[in-house]
Amino acid sequence: MKGLLEHIGIESGRLHFSWVSSAEATKFVEVAQSIAAEVKALGPAKYLIKKRAEVA
Amino acid sequence: MIDYTEKIRETARRLLEKGEVEVFIGYRKGSVPMMNEPALIRSPEEANQLHWDSNCGLNLCNYLTKRTEKIGIIANGCNSRNMVTHIVENQIRREQLYVVGIPCKGMIDHRAVRRAVNHREILDIREDDETLTVRGTDFDESLGKRDFLQSNCRICAHHNPVIYDEMVAEPIEENGGVEPYKDVEKIEQMTPQRKWGFFTRMISHCIRCYACRNACPLCYCPTCFTDESRPQWVGKSSDPTDTMTFHILRAYHCAGRCTDCGACERVCPVGISMRQFTKKLNKDVQEFFSWEAGLDLQQRPPLDVYRPDDYNDFIK
Amino acid sequence: MNDWQPIITTFLCHWCSYGAADLAGVSRLQYPPNFRIIRVPCSGRVSPKFILAAFRHGSDGIWVSG
Repeated sequence: MKGLLEHIGIESGRLHFSWVSSAEATKFVEVAQSIAAEVKALGPAKYLIKKRAEVA
Repeated sequence: MIDYTEKIRETARRLLEKGEVEVFIGYRKGSVPMMNEPALIRSPEEANQLHWDSNCGLNLCNYLTKRTEKIGIIANGCNSRNMVTHIVENQIRREQLYVVGIPCKGMIDHRAVRRAVNHREILDIREDDETLTVRGTDFDESLGKRDFLQSNCRICAHHNPVIYDEMVAEPIEENGGVEPYKDVEKIEQMTPQRKWGFFTRMISHCIRCYACRNACPLCYCPTCFTDESRPQWVGKSSDPTDTMTFHILRAYHCAGRCTDCGACERVCPVGISMRQFTKKLNKDVQEFFSWEAGLDLQQRPPLDVYRPDDYNDFIK
Repeated sequence: MNDWQPIITTFLCHWCSYGAADLAGVSRLQYPPNFRIIRVPCSGRVSPKFILAAFRHGSDGIWVSG
């Protein structure tokens, strides 16, 4: 999934996968922080957003 | 090519007469040049309609899904790989099929031929081993066949069928040393903005006719995601976002299954090269799972088995 | 736009990461507030459709965790 999306121009930093066990709260927090930082650095998503229909 | 046709007719006649198959699936000449159409032949008398030349680019596996009778079918390299995929995915049983193998020399790109004659109307096209002779009302041109092969046929490494019960001719030599993924690599080098631009431009002509889906032997879901309305995954208009979503998901459904037969591109009325999507996925399964679709009847496809050493670098 | 906050659609497995998120909460561990969590019975439930749907609705990022 990641491969193709990246291929068509969605930055790979926007899609993340991870394995966190239910006992690993600290790992969860670490991963959460790194992902939030990475997405924040990329800025708002520009592509593939469905525009709301202008005529309603 | 002509001798293939004769041999195919002969074989079909024999099989139908003996009652070994109930239907024989092949091609017949279309009503327009370069557009051969699939033909389902049910009686020995009809076998004379069968035809083979370099315009048989549609994939016959579309006509196999969930059939119950005994079927004779002709198969070149990619068609036979799709048959394997069909068998592995339980859409047809191997025992039902009598596969007449054809060593395929590649299909010609009808768009390229049209371009070469400046889009004048082609009334007739003939071919021998090396050349195509194109005729219209006021022109008559010879073209080198090699230069007009479909882009997927140029990089084909499986001309000969993978499974067959009988061959109409000796297997031909396979292309050695083709580099199938050169264009994919070129796109991989681009920045995200340029990639997005490239693909947006590419699909901007898409009219969402779903011809690519209908021509694809892999697209046999009873209800396609594009037709689902609760929830509606993708809108039905030709809005760029919807079109992109459609193309991404269509490609993704072919991951690890696509045999690069080129039927999707061939049928596209506006000439989108949607193989750029599926090829990337083919490259990925090749790299991560060393897998090429439709080569082995015994092995399960990589996306439906788990192996402890599966690629998982993308998981944190 | 320094105060811009991304919205990250997050698919968490009920048995694994959702539990981890819960435990993080119980343990008073701080983590960024950008996640919009969707609990799924298993991360295998997440299909490519979901990911595209999330992007289409304007998420800036997506995180699937099992």
